[in-house]
Amino acid sequence: MTSKVIKKDALNKTITGWMRSYDVIAPVSSKEGIHFRKISDAKEFTLQGNQKPNYPPKSIFLPQSEVLFEIKDGSYSMPEAPKRRQIILGMRSCDARAAWLLDTVFNQAEELDLYWARKREKALVVSFGCASMCSSGFCDTVGSGPFGKEGSDVMVTELDEAYYLEPLTEAGEKLTEKLDNAESGHSKAAKEIQKSSVVKEHTQADLSKINEKLYEAFDTPIWKEISESCLGCGVCTYLCPTCFCFDIVDEVDRSERVRNWDTCMFRIYSQEASGHNPRPSKAERTRQRIMHKFAYWVDNEKASGCTGCGRCVALCPVNLDIREMVQVITGLPIQ
Amino acid sequence: MKNIYKPIPMRIERIIRETDDGSLRSFELTFNNPADEKAFFKAYNPGQFCQLSIFGKGEAPFGIASAAWEGNFVRFTVQNVGSFTDTIHRAKVGDEIGIRGPLGNGFPIWDWNGKDLVVIGGGCAFSTLYALTKHIMHPKQRKDYGRIVVIYGARSSGLCLYKPDIKSWYERPDMEIHQAIDVPEEGWDFHTGYVPDVVKVVAPSPKNSVAVVCGPPIMTKFTLPILVDLGFTPESIYTSLEKRMKCGVGKCGRCNLGTQYICKDGPVFSLAELNELPLDL
Repeated sequence: MTSKVIKKDALNKTITGWMRSYDVIAPVSSKEGIHFRKISDAKEFTLQGNQKPNYPPKSIFLPQSEVLFEIKDGSYSMPEAPKRRQIILGMRSCDARAAWLLDTVFNQAEELDLYWARKREKALVVSFGCASMCSSGFCDTVGSGPFGKEGSDVMVTELDEAYYLEPLTEAGEKLTEKLDNAESGHSKAAKEIQKSSVVKEHTQADLSKINEKLYEAFDTPIWKEISESCLGCGVCTYLCPTCFCFDIVDEVDRSERVRNWDTCMFRIYSQEASGHNPRPSKAERTRQRIMHKFAYWVDNEKASGCTGCGRCVALCPVNLDIREMVQVITGLPIQ
Repeated sequence: MKNIYKPIPMRIERIIRETDDGSLRSFELTFNNPADEKAFFKAYNPGQFCQLSIFGKGEAPFGIASAAWEGNFVRFTVQNVGSFTDTIHRAKVGDEIGIRGPLGNGFPIWDWNGKDLVVIGGGCAFSTLYALTKHIMHPKQRKDYGRIVVIYGARSSGLCLYKPDIKSWYERPDMEIHQAIDVPEEGWDFHTGYVPDVVKVVAPSPKNSVAVVCGPPIMTKFTLPILVDLGFTPESIYTSLEKRMKCGVGKCGRCNLGTQYICKDGPVFSLAELNELPLDL
């Protein structure tokens, strides 16, 4: 596929052009930092270096609260989908990879989740790689990297005077076909930036060994030890780009059946009607979170369920660090 | 395209008060739309479950307690334990209710052709085993299996389910039925004691046999080693797991057990399969 360039001063014009045919969802500034929303002016789009929003853009495809059905006279109807196609602009590799991973849950032909699938189908992901890694990120140790390509239709590298666009899918190629072709100098500069973006001291975590050691530790008291300071607030899972658990509830006043993000870190999450709870304490719940990311995903999809975005590390109120926890349990580093 | 979260509209056709205290009732539901009925019975295999759905109360999973040949209805046995089940218990014949299903894998009965079956159940978890037994005891299927032994325990005689059918099973020469209650009662002519102990006494032969165990976790936990002691291999012992489920189709994450989702990959697993999983139960 042919790489393209947009001169820095022409970016807004390109985005404005896209906005004629697409809704453009992009990070914008707010009091709480940056967050994704539909922009009405190209100028709203902001990247702020290698920053990503705390609130994960998985919400674009799996909203925190989503109406499944409107119920009228006992019949269930699915809300209409927005008609316009979308460009998700300025995603980071960690979040695009998360959408790619979650396709294995929601976008499977035999049990298709229509709500996820119809949004994914209409969306093009134009990711911006990170020239240097963010302070809490460790994407380059868990199978991805600051320019990881999975889940993106176009990968953008910021050069000195231009943006360098690599289309990765047919849709990405179509979106960028009218842009200027990149010259060899651009490609060379982009390669350099991509190469120097990773942290030299970082090494790939040995996912298959970690997987093995986690299973060995399953019935040991280590989980109680590492979860002692956990408050059970669930922020690690709500803000995790690959956590997808949800609850289904009926909002009677609104006559709607809704699904809401849920978390395995809550006691009530797995509580059964009989009163039995398979994960009665923080130890079992922390075990579930870590085993799911670093054992079950690896078994099922041959990929870590952690994309190394670092949100759970940076935003945990008691400074729990999933890398440290894995290292304490398995003796193997993620760094 | 099919929406996996959309309930099929059903109507309550018949309600059976199963236990003396009324805590367990069976509900037989019929389909509002012939197309739904056709699709349901085309897919249905004993051991599967459905999400029952009542708008305003939500959804909850229940094992299917009827065999396809019984008629154009689907039976569920519901214990009144909470807000959702209480709403069902208050429902009347003719009321509308939604279902999603059949869900899950069900029993791999095609693998059991030519084998003896030992069916072991306790409490209301007997419901899917009842469906399995009804299915297999039908003349069309019966010839495909060898000896059939059913062991069924309840806390007391008043809490026994499916009484007329179980009574009739004693008359059948082509099956063996053992009923048990936990503590002695006057007039009770059958076994007394917990299911695992009754299994020890009945001591079914493991030769060319398959054992299927469904019951409260504590019963299952103590029955499995007894079967192993009797000589059943982990590949020939099956059980059906329960966990809290919301979606029933492997999306919401709640019933995750290692690499598996109980709702989608189960609820039926062989002991050999379970031995491979971290038992977060």
